[in-house]
Order: sequence, then C-alpha cells, then structure tokens
Amino acid sequence: MEPPFIKKAGLMRKGGPLMKEKGRKNRHLANNLTAYGFMLPWFIGFICFTAFPVIFMFFVSLTNRRLNGISQFIGFTNYKNIFASSTFRNSFKVTIFFTIVMMIVTAVWALLMAFLLNYKQRLNGIFQFFYFIPSVIPSVALAYAFRTMFGKDAGLFNALLSSISGSNVRINWLYNERTVYPVIFFITLFTYNTGQMMLIFRSGLNDVPVDLYEAADIDGAGFWTKFGRITLPMISPVILFNTVTGSISALNGSFALLYPLTGDTGDPNKMTQVLSLLIYNEAFSNYKVGYGCALSVILFLLACVFGIALFGISKKYVYYEN
Amino acid sequence: MNKKAGTAKYKVVIVTLIKIIVAVIMFSPIIWIISGGFKTLTEFTTSTDIIPKKPTLENYIYVFKYSNFFKYFRNTVLLMLGTGVGTLISSSLVAYPLARMDFPGKNMFFALIIATMMVPGIALIVPQYIMFGKFGWLDSLLPMIVPAFFAHPYNVFLFRQFFRSIPKELDEAAIMDGCSHMGVFFRVLAPLSKPTYATIAILSSVFWWNELTQPVFYINGDKWRTLTIALMTSFMYIKGNTFVINWPTIMAASTLMIIPPMLLYFFGSSYLVEGIKTSGLKG
Repeated sequence: MEPPFIKKAGLMRKGGPLMKEKGRKNRHLANNLTAYGFMLPWFIGFICFTAFPVIFMFFVSLTNRRLNGISQFIGFTNYKNIFASSTFRNSFKVTIFFTIVMMIVTAVWALLMAFLLNYKQRLNGIFQFFYFIPSVIPSVALAYAFRTMFGKDAGLFNALLSSISGSNVRINWLYNERTVYPVIFFITLFTYNTGQMMLIFRSGLNDVPVDLYEAADIDGAGFWTKFGRITLPMISPVILFNTVTGSISALNGSFALLYPLTGDTGDPNKMTQVLSLLIYNEAFSNYKVGYGCALSVILFLLACVFGIALFGISKKYVYYEN
Repeated sequence: MNKKAGTAKYKVVIVTLIKIIVAVIMFSPIIWIISGGFKTLTEFTTSTDIIPKKPTLENYIYVFKYSNFFKYFRNTVLLMLGTGVGTLISSSLVAYPLARMDFPGKNMFFALIIATMMVPGIALIVPQYIMFGKFGWLDSLLPMIVPAFFAHPYNVFLFRQFFRSIPKELDEAAIMDGCSHMGVFFRVLAPLSKPTYATIAILSSVFWWNELTQPVFYINGDKWRTLTIALMTSFMYIKGNTFVINWPTIMAASTLMIIPPMLLYFFGSSYLVEGIKTSGLKG
C-alpha cells in the first residue's frame, strides 16, 4: 500500500520505525493534503487558464465561429483551408525563419555583451546599465523609435550613411524588401529577451572555474582555443536554457515588437507576418475566430516541436558537470 | 616581460573601445526618443540633430492636456499592482511544497510547470478571449489580473530555486518546535526570501508596464486603456488629422514611459542580479 516515496520523506527520519503504523499513515495523509493545499492556486490556474483553453481551442478550431459568437461545426475544413492558403504558408515560413534567426542573433549578441561585462573594469556597473536598459523599456516605444530612425525622411540611419558616403541616401529601410530583415533582426537586439539572456550568460560565465583557464594559459592556448574548448562546453547548459526560452519568447514576443513596427498585415508584402500577427488579423480584423483557433493550434504544436527539438539536440551536445 | 605588459595595455584599450561602441548602439534609441520629444513636428520630420534647435515643451503639454494620460497611467499602475500582488502570493505558496515537501506526484507536477513555461501565451489567447468574454471580463483588467492570483510558472520556478538555497535545517528545526508548514512558510522562508520577492516584484512590474499583447487583445474602449495601447492610438495623430503621424508627441509620451522602468532597474539592479544569480540553473 505504501508507495516508495515514503522512504524519502523527512517525517520518517524523525518519527522513526517506532511510530505506530496508523499514526504514520494519518500524518502522511495530512502532509500530502498540506502540500496539495499549497499547490491549490496552481491546480486551479492550470486547469482554468491552460488546460481548458487548450482543449477548448481544439474544439473551436473545428467550427466556423465568428467574433460575434455564432458558430457551426465544420470538421477539419479550417485546417484544409489553412494548408491550401498561400498566406498561411508564407506566414509559417516567416515564423520559423524569424524564430530561428532571432534566437541565434540575440543569443550571440547577449553572449558578446556578457563577455565584455565580465572583463573586469571600473565603471562596469554603468556599462551594464547601458547594455540592459533597452530591454526594460516598452516594445512599443522601441518600435516607434526605430520606425523613425530607419525612416526615409529625417531618419538617423540614412543621415549617418549620407554623411559617410557623401551622397544623399534615402532608403525606406522597413518597407524595402531587401533591407527589412536585417533591420528587424538588428531591432531584436534591443528586446527584453536579449537583456535577460545577457544576465543569465553573465552568471554562467562567472561559474566557469578559473583554474581551467590558468591551465590552458600554461599550455599556451590562444583566446579562440580557450573559448571553443573551455568556455563553450562549460556554459552549454546555460546556452541550452537561453535558446529554449529565447525561441519561446521569439514566438511569443514577436507580436509586441512587430505589431507596432510593421502592422498586423506584416509589411512589406507580408514579409514580417508571423503566425501571431496572422492570428490577430484573422480573428479580429476578419472576425474568423474558428479559423484563428485553428491557426493557434498550429502555433501551439510548433512551440512543442521547437521545445522537443531543442531538448533532443541538447542531449548530444550539452555538458553537465554531474 | 615588457612586451607582454604592452600587449595587455593594448588589449584593455581595444576592449574598452568595443564596450563603448556597444554602449552607444544600445543607448541610441533612448537618446533618439528623449531628443525627439523636445522637437517640433517640423523639426522632427526634417532634421536628425540629436540636440533640438528650438527645444519645445509643446509635446508634453499636448500629452498632459489633450489626452487622458493620467487615466492610462492609473490603469497601468492598477494592472501592475494587481498582477504583482497576485503572483507574489500565489507563486511563492505553490513553490513551497515543490522545494520543501515530499508528496506523490511532486516530480510530475514540477515537470508540468516547466512544460507550461514553454507554451507561448499568444497561442492560447484566442480561446482565452472567448472564455473571458463569457465571464463578461472583456474591456477590463480582469483577464490579466485574475490569472496572476493562480501562480505564474516562471515565478514558481524562481521561488523554488531560491527556497532550495536556504538551509533545510532551519525549517526542520521550526517543525521540531511544533511549527506547522504554514508557520514555516510565513515565519522562516518568506522573511528570508526578501531578495526573491523583490526580484520578482521588479520583473513583474516591468513586464506589465511594458505589456502590449494582452491589452491589445482584451481591451477595446478608452476606459481601461493602458499606456502601451494609448501610445499606439491616443497620441498617434495630430488633432483632427488622421494622416499626419504626430511623432514628437509619441516620443514625448515614450519618454514618460521609459523613465519608470529605468528608475526601477537603477534602484533594483542589485536585487535583480542577486535574484537571478541565486536562481541559477543548477539543481
């Protein structure tokens, strides 16, 4: 009757085998009930705000529900329409491209900043303030700053290029199909994601034992050798954590950045219409909530695939001390 | 020896230079926002000077006088307070048994909490929208505040990590003295975890101050509009003209919006680093 976990429980150690069987069972029951009592808020929250919406979403995705609530069961028609739609196929590709590139670009930049900050110097606190501060300001404010900095007229970037090249540069960076991606990925360096990763990388870098570097120095290893053979393997669990959270926040946070930057139609020419923008567009501009739910199901499954894939890769490459 | 000292000095100069360049890049949008707020519309659309030729306060006057700035500010503060109080209480309570007690299903529940951390909120927002609509909560702050009272997985994780770093002997001693688990939580762990409460309070406040996605979905009218939506709608156009975007006013409003999180970070950064460090990834 008694499950094996009881052996581990702290109660046993104190009560010892002398405690009467019945009393022990009662105390265990009380102990478990207390634990579940503490966990109650999460149980309720998980059921109401995660599990139920997931199941509900699958059901609504099988209807043609409109924003006004009128709905009818239509089977898998939404999914058929989705896979036949070129808008969706484009959006799906954009989402995967955006997520992977943003994950890599922000992680590399965050690691670079963490490296610079771990180079002990006076005024490091001030540098950290400058590096971290863009990630705590609202993404809307950031988006508007960059919309004007990369604007055609009186944009800071065009002015800089003009003064360097000597000619009058007038590029509409965010509306030009050739420049929009580099500019967007540059802007992602300023998001919350990057700042968060930088802090985590910093503590990861601090945890690398100094004697490893000292030993490498004695062997005459250069910077890149030390980086590739010591730093990267030692911080690989941190890199994994950052890429997992980074890909989720790229899926999640792209809305708050791209909606004020390029709109829910994903200008130019749907090149930035990630799935979250398409969901908003279909459900709230076209009132197709059932269709929006089917898209949400796909986004949900995509997030699962990303999570599983990253953990699969990690088994091969991540080094754990213990 | 002398040569080595020379290269070391050379290295310091290079590193410092890179550090400064990165700092300038990272801070450029903030300078741009602050400078833009003091420009007139004509200057903003014709000049890229960082220091305005004729600094003006008209944008700030417009924000305070002709928009409901104070109402949006109040709404955002209410949102921050509600979600902050909710998540601090509920997440720390949920983290306690995960860090300190043994009970059936513990590992499964913890795995489930980690798994829900991976679910992007945006994927569930449409079904939640329908659900909150049925509750009659749309166009209010409730769809964001109420869930905060039912534990946020990421915060549960941070609390659990911190609780585990506190010596277990402390609460074992308290239990020996006849303290209940409630007592251990409120009298031993919670008081010792002030840095984590502060960290999560700061992270949560900054998150909700900046949050755009959920208010965009849940709030339509002006009554409960938050500052982030107001920035996209209320200061957007010149009075009575929906074709000319009023950039300098947006920049002035943005300046007002970036100051509180900057101050929070400035005064809370010691907590923030400590909290994130102690909640590291091992164990």
